[in-house]
Amino acid sequence: MIVSWQLLKRFIDLPVSPEEAAVRLTLSGAEVESIEHPEAQVSGVAVARVRSLQGHPSKPNLFVATLETGKGEAVCVTAATNLKAGDKVFYGAPGATIPEVTARGTSKKAELGLRDFGEIRSAGMMLSAAELGLPDVDIVEGILVLPEDAPLGADALSLYGLGDALLDVSITPNRGDLLSILGMARELKGLYPDAVLKPMPEHTSGTEDWPVEFGAIALPDDGCLNYHLGLATGVKIAPSPVEIRVTLAHLGMRPISNIVDATNYVMLLLGQPLHPFDLNTLPGWEITVRPAFEGEKIVTLDGKERLLTAKDMLITSGKETPTHPIALAGIMGGKETVINDDTDVVVLEGASFSPRRVGHTSRRLGIASEAAFRYSRGVDPTLSALGVDYALFLMREWSGAVIDYKKLSAFNLQPEPQPVVLTKKKLHTYLLWSDMEEATQILEGYGIRHVKNLESEYLKAEDLKTGDSRSENFGGNVRAFVPPTWRPDIAIEEDLIEEIGRWRGYDSAPAHLPGVLPRRGDVGAETSLAGAMRACAIARGYVEAVTYSFLPESFVSTLRLPDDDLRAHPLCLANPISQDWVAMRTTLIPGLLNGLKESIASGWREPVRLFEIGRVFLRSGAHSTEHGEPEHNELEVLGGLVCSGTAPRTPWQETLEDFLSVKADVLALLQIRGRRASFLQGTEPFGHAGQTARIPGIGYLARLSPAIERELGFAQPVYIFELSLAALESVEKNAYTPASPFPANFRDISMLVPNDKTQDEVVAEIQASVTQAPVTQASVTQASVMQASETQTSNSEESSAKILESVKLFDIYSGKGIPAGYRSMAFSLCYRTFHRTLNDEEVDKIHNSLRDALGKKGYNIR
Amino acid sequence: MKEEMAVSDLGNRVQEVKDSFERDVAPVTTTEALQGLKVQYLGKKGMLTTLLKSLGNLSPQERPLAGEALNTLRSELEQKIEEKKQLLIQAEDAAAEAMERIDVTLPPRGRPAGAFHPVAQTMHEIVSIMQGLGYSVVLGPEIEEDHYNFECLNMPSWHPARDMQDTFYFPDSEDQETAKRRLLRTHTSPVEIRAMLRYGAPLRIICPGKVYRRDNDPTHSPMFNQLEGLLVDEGVSFSVLKGSLIELMNGFFGRALKSRFRASYFPFTEPSMELDIECVECGGKNPDCRICKGTGWLEVCGMGMTHPFVIRAGGIDPEKYNAFAFGMGLDRMAMLKYGISDLRYLFNGNVSYFLSGRDVL
Repeated sequence: MIVSWQLLKRFIDLPVSPEEAAVRLTLSGAEVESIEHPEAQVSGVAVARVRSLQGHPSKPNLFVATLETGKGEAVCVTAATNLKAGDKVFYGAPGATIPEVTARGTSKKAELGLRDFGEIRSAGMMLSAAELGLPDVDIVEGILVLPEDAPLGADALSLYGLGDALLDVSITPNRGDLLSILGMARELKGLYPDAVLKPMPEHTSGTEDWPVEFGAIALPDDGCLNYHLGLATGVKIAPSPVEIRVTLAHLGMRPISNIVDATNYVMLLLGQPLHPFDLNTLPGWEITVRPAFEGEKIVTLDGKERLLTAKDMLITSGKETPTHPIALAGIMGGKETVINDDTDVVVLEGASFSPRRVGHTSRRLGIASEAAFRYSRGVDPTLSALGVDYALFLMREWSGAVIDYKKLSAFNLQPEPQPVVLTKKKLHTYLLWSDMEEATQILEGYGIRHVKNLESEYLKAEDLKTGDSRSENFGGNVRAFVPPTWRPDIAIEEDLIEEIGRWRGYDSAPAHLPGVLPRRGDVGAETSLAGAMRACAIARGYVEAVTYSFLPESFVSTLRLPDDDLRAHPLCLANPISQDWVAMRTTLIPGLLNGLKESIASGWREPVRLFEIGRVFLRSGAHSTEHGEPEHNELEVLGGLVCSGTAPRTPWQETLEDFLSVKADVLALLQIRGRRASFLQGTEPFGHAGQTARIPGIGYLARLSPAIERELGFAQPVYIFELSLAALESVEKNAYTPASPFPANFRDISMLVPNDKTQDEVVAEIQASVTQAPVTQASVTQASVMQASETQTSNSEESSAKILESVKLFDIYSGKGIPAGYRSMAFSLCYRTFHRTLNDEEVDKIHNSLRDALGKKGYNIR
Repeated sequence: MKEEMAVSDLGNRVQEVKDSFERDVAPVTTTEALQGLKVQYLGKKGMLTTLLKSLGNLSPQERPLAGEALNTLRSELEQKIEEKKQLLIQAEDAAAEAMERIDVTLPPRGRPAGAFHPVAQTMHEIVSIMQGLGYSVVLGPEIEEDHYNFECLNMPSWHPARDMQDTFYFPDSEDQETAKRRLLRTHTSPVEIRAMLRYGAPLRIICPGKVYRRDNDPTHSPMFNQLEGLLVDEGVSFSVLKGSLIELMNGFFGRALKSRFRASYFPFTEPSMELDIECVECGGKNPDCRICKGTGWLEVCGMGMTHPFVIRAGGIDPEKYNAFAFGMGLDRMAMLKYGISDLRYLFNGNVSYFLSGRDVL
């Protein structure tokens, strides 16, 4: 909200500058975001009188004015057509400055000078409001004509609210009372005990009967706390005085007419929204404030038709049932009853509405009117009558209206401020400060009254409850306070503590570290897992991404997800910002693919390695529950993407990425969790049919299907993987084992393997076949048995599987010399035991019988 | 006479061999040629062996003297060959190494280091600082119910504070009773409610995670990241909140920063405050600073003493326990620490941007 320093000073005498007040307000909860001096660029502009006005001798569209400036005479040429001799205007003599209108606003100054128009030399300028930086203040195009009593020669910045300082204050939603000059004055009175509040403007209503038979005001909806109608007859719609137009423009409201401006002005000053109806447009001469019917409609004054529910509240009029809606209570008037240029009788509404009801409707309909903003944050219910009287007074002043009529009023139950108790104990707990005397003074400063007679009642009740003796509370350690009508936010003890805390300022409070808990801080399995995984991925050259959790729905078809795939049925938002962000992701791949796309689009030609740790959102099995509402699972996933980039040329060709290079990364990620996961030939709807691996229980690794790569415009293969982090949360511990002290014997074996047999299968068969190899106890030497008893405690019987320590593929070849459908695989086998040296003949024997066994299984051993 | 001749003849022969060796060894440039030379002089058929054989012609009296002279010659030649050999090996190594010279400025083979995401990094850094103060991490669902996201936090449907948190809803929640309506959580506060209900008091937690609001402009992303903290105990004072946050900020930015605590408002805390830290860019010295807009202060964290309503909603007796809570935007913290100027760079996965932050290539 914008606060005018000049208006503020009409309500309070303050001992400080706007800048000092701004700091105090900011630290105590009303953040002053800026202090503007809207006329900072204006200088040397003063009131002058047009003594004479003639046409320019040679230029037909110009006039020559002779001005009386208070210091002498000046000649000024103008193109404006709205002047006549005798008018008072703002005149900027040569040397005066006005804002220069630039593309970035009016932050620069322009200096006025002498300028020749044909044979006439014009000294300075007569100014429009727009030229002073206030285009809304102008009524007609041309020079701003001032009231007749404008003092000749007076500086413009001393008149009509010009030269004001404006504080842009950010008001928190609990402080509806601060949405007015009056409220800000009260707040400053609380903050500066030496400041003096000035008496409120008092205007009593008239006593005359209304000239028309106006019937009852009925309030069947208790969301209307009270309702007042004032009457102004003989209204002449015209612009409001220049000072009011300047003030409204400063405070961000467009001046409209004397009647509308009067209601807005009162709202800005007191915080009470008012609504004027044209009496002659009312469907009937009675008012009913009632809930809307389900499906009822009203066209509001902005021309929009609003569909209503039973939770909305309407101002209605007329005798027929249902009564005819004329305004959306507290939010916006109806189009039919709006004030127009011919209005001569104004019925003025001042009412108090429930913040909840107004808040509910304005949020549902998305109407952020000034009235709704204030009502939904709470308007002091005692202000409505006062607001009507004050606005009627202004209407008489500005439009010559007759206002000597009785006010018509109706009331529902009024909220009474309830006492709130402050205890020294809680005050001390919260703030580590507890001077109850000073605390009381602080609260009194805000208008929160200390009421002693309520205290004794409270103490009695507390004694009964706690069995404490009253003496413990002796000395004012428990005090009762009643907040003023404009502070409904003060309802519990903590609210009082906040008033004290913010008055004192939190910077003065001591700072402590939390005491000892019976346990240390625990990062938790998920976060520490994420930490370990990201460290591993980054070390392996991956860039960490965070991408949006929502995707366009088209990701389902882009990834070819079939209907029976859970990932094809994302949860979708009811109110997305755009169709690009509508479906909750069921996989991290689209976000990573987009990262690849963005990287390439920004000119990146190098390899792209991306990973993201984040959640995917899956419906849980059935598409909906008994409530018809999708239950869902949120799964933490690590997704990765690797592509050699758009310019994969490098002097070192072997560094290009492929399925197996990415497999090494996936294995590393699993290895840091102790996993020796197997990769099985698998399928993914979006995976390359021949290059997709399933990692059971954990995830998959795949090359993107070439069709999708083509479709997305990636010229190089794209490898992707997703790993479920829940599956990796526990660490599998593998025992640390020293190498055998006995030497290893290596033998190679080379064989033809059909293409449909995987390496893992072959290795498994090699390992299985070696068990058949005979081992003779005779070859075990005495010495090695001795050593074995040290290393192998339980069973010294040799398992031949353990003799084969490892099987390692070292060559693979297909093509020339190899039959079609086969590849040649060469393995290096390591024979070694933990408890003795194997001699050559022994190893040969085992190895040869292994070769025989594999041969019998149909392998062509080479 | 004849024998005398023989001895002096041997002396001459020794000198001849020496001279011949000097002549022959000088032009040798390879260890291979040197080996040939060695054989030529010291081998089985070498010149020295021939001389040794000729000792038989000498008288027994002369033999020891001559033998000694020949042995001296042998060790002299051996030493010279060894010296020459060392020189040649050095020269050969030097030549070979010169041949194997590598342009050390060539691009490396293999992958360069990756890069962290500033927001994820910020989250992990703050988690570790707070762990040191005894706070544990608790996580919760991103798709929440109105009940936990708003109602429990003292933000009923009519509450004006909901204006500040424009919310994404899920479609089939229209017919639901309000409390069950599903939405994308607008803050991580609902995790605090769930934690209170699950663990009770005392409690000391932080809740990092993604949150969502229906905003999209240069300074607001519809998805962003928050970290909230909650401490529940008996007799909790604002001072402990203040101490925890000063520690967090100084730890995160790595130095002691000026700070100020301003009164503010949140529906779920009473009293409420906000923390401003000194501008990490200009320290308040630059009136045109683009980070602090010349104010010298950066708003980084909202906080307050948890509203009794919220403590009760968490299943804890507010008469016995009280609490404080705080919340901050991890994206903002990351942008301040890592000097990131635009929120929109954070969520598009552009590797060139993230790698640029660690000065690659």
